[in-house]
Amino acid sequence: MPTLTFPLSRIEGHAQVVIEVRAGKVVSARFEAMEFRGFEYFVQGAPAEQMPVITPRICGVCSTAHHVAAVKALEDAYGITPPPLALKIRELLLLGQIVQNQATSLFIFTMPDRLGLASIFPLAEEGSEQVNAKIAMRALRVRKAGTDLITTAGGQFIHPVKAVVGGVTSGVGPEQAAAMGAELAEALPIACELFDYYWEMSMAMGERIGTWGDDAPACYIAAVADCRPNYYGDVIRVMCPAGIVRARFPARDFRAHLTYQETDYSYAGQTSYEGEVMRANSLARANMAHCMGTPLADEYLERFHEAFGQPAHAIMLFDLARGIELVYALERAMEILAEPLDREDTAIPYTPRDGEGYGLVEAPRGPLIHHYRIEKGLIAEAKFIIPTVHNTLAIERALRVAARRYVTAERVDMELERAVGRVVRAFDPCIACATH
Amino acid sequence: MIRFAVLQLSGCAGCEVSLLNAEAWLDRYRLVYMPLVVSAYDVPEVDVLLVSGGVRTDEDLYNLRRAGERARQVVAVGTCAISGGVANLGDRDEVRELFLAAAERRHLPRLLPKVRPVDSVVTVDRYLPGCPPTPELFMAVLLDPSDFKASKTVCQECGRKKLKDMRPTGLIGFQRGEVLPDICLINQGYLCVGSSTRGGCRAPCTRAGHPCVGCRGPSDAFIEKASSKWLTSIQRVFAAMTDIPAEEIQAALRSPQLALFLFQFADYAGTGRPPRPKEKVL
Repeated sequence: MPTLTFPLSRIEGHAQVVIEVRAGKVVSARFEAMEFRGFEYFVQGAPAEQMPVITPRICGVCSTAHHVAAVKALEDAYGITPPPLALKIRELLLLGQIVQNQATSLFIFTMPDRLGLASIFPLAEEGSEQVNAKIAMRALRVRKAGTDLITTAGGQFIHPVKAVVGGVTSGVGPEQAAAMGAELAEALPIACELFDYYWEMSMAMGERIGTWGDDAPACYIAAVADCRPNYYGDVIRVMCPAGIVRARFPARDFRAHLTYQETDYSYAGQTSYEGEVMRANSLARANMAHCMGTPLADEYLERFHEAFGQPAHAIMLFDLARGIELVYALERAMEILAEPLDREDTAIPYTPRDGEGYGLVEAPRGPLIHHYRIEKGLIAEAKFIIPTVHNTLAIERALRVAARRYVTAERVDMELERAVGRVVRAFDPCIACATH
Repeated sequence: MIRFAVLQLSGCAGCEVSLLNAEAWLDRYRLVYMPLVVSAYDVPEVDVLLVSGGVRTDEDLYNLRRAGERARQVVAVGTCAISGGVANLGDRDEVRELFLAAAERRHLPRLLPKVRPVDSVVTVDRYLPGCPPTPELFMAVLLDPSDFKASKTVCQECGRKKLKDMRPTGLIGFQRGEVLPDICLINQGYLCVGSSTRGGCRAPCTRAGHPCVGCRGPSDAFIEKASSKWLTSIQRVFAAMTDIPAEEIQAALRSPQLALFLFQFADYAGTGRPPRPKEKVL
């Protein structure tokens, strides 16, 4: 059976797409994650309290989400509620992650698809310099506002350290908060300008290729409220095609609702909801959102719902929904930074105990759960429920849709190669996390 | 323009993310290969090859060998490239058996029996330790390493005050609640190893109130010596500044999160290879 193998780039980690064709018909499309490190195995025996330092190393892109999920899982096991200021600083941390991630996905990973380039960075490509330099420098600036925000709230921007069991190690002083707020205020109009351009280029691309990708209905999963999303994590909700929320459950009940299985062709597993294809990430949140709660983001959300409906299903809309969140995260972080962030307790004393704990955050790619079983202060068992894994089946379905468009009995249209890249990037998968 | 490539083996992409924040290279370098941000499927001839991640799969091994032949200079960046990093935790025998058994897949790259450092496969011209190295360190390695000024240890870059009359009797850690600002974390009963960890990061973790976990590895004074020398020096610091029993410190220093980083330059022990020369380490 002929197979087409497409290596992937401009995504986080090592993966490829394999499409099998028989007699001009697409038989299957597989999304194959090709790396594996074995975190669930090698954290066994580690002192539980070291998880907030060890687990960010699952992924340098999503490290903030793992850092906070680890702390929450331990606090759940120990029965601790951190003080309000600590929660606010953790929210700030996760907003920084949203800014960093969505700016990277939009302007570094997927912008080149809209411009017909291999990268936004200056390459050995004739004539690419000018466009690149203009976009690249501004994109890096918005992204850096996100990483600086993570540094402000987390001490370090790639593997943050400030969230600890019981709270955070320190607040944010008024001078630091003001400087950070000013940097975000400068980044906001640049982000909006880049996003407007991105929106326009996306519409043009949709016209040019004649499709917005797989637009069949699906179920959506997210762990934020439907207004003023707090990525610190709320109850998990599953919304099914007609736009009705069919399930609401806390992290500790996830096994009763989600089915996980592994395959023999990928180091990443896949989850489904009652046998149905599920989607996590930005579009899931936009489909459940009634408002964002900040002025500019609300305008974008309204425009989005008016243009595409609610729920909307075409996969290229994941990309646009990311832009709305980028704007929201910048605005919301500025609100928080305007409040005093160093006048109350940042942590409380605690006593560790054995037992089980669940830590949930809404990572950029969807609900992330850390589940630990602790015996004698050591990790006896750890499970990482990864948002990208919720999307595996949806990615493969969208790949089949794309493949059927470009594979006919006579020929394979090589637009397929670009389509495969666009489809996968719409879901912004993280392979390091998915395989851990 | 100098042509450079970034080869990512098995790791977390944190090093790449840090490099993206070091935008100063944009003017001087032409980035020709870095799958995270560029669609290019093969490493061409380059002046500088940055390698991140450990050699974990047979594909990592193949890619590294090929890329190494096409590069005039190889820089190993981050703990994973230097020692295998976090994946080393999986090389404890009992754990390794478990996950190698779980890692059989059709067609996919196979895991090597043990994760390997980059310099066991290709000659490395420079090492840039850190998990990840800060953007400033990336700029230093790409622009002018000899110009880079840093203190010898994280401790000297930290700025917290050491107090003579504040002697903890146990490693309390975060269980005590609030971390006091401006006062040395050892005085407060945290297992901080910044006193022998290589400087250059500007101590972001300890400044923010988290003890140094040693991600930059040993300072020049210890880099070419046996790891026991380094451990003894940390123990001496705690003996001088605290009343914590030596056994408690000794046991804590064996913790996995420290083991990840502390020994990254000591992993040649028993192989008969010479230690990495400190001149090559930034």
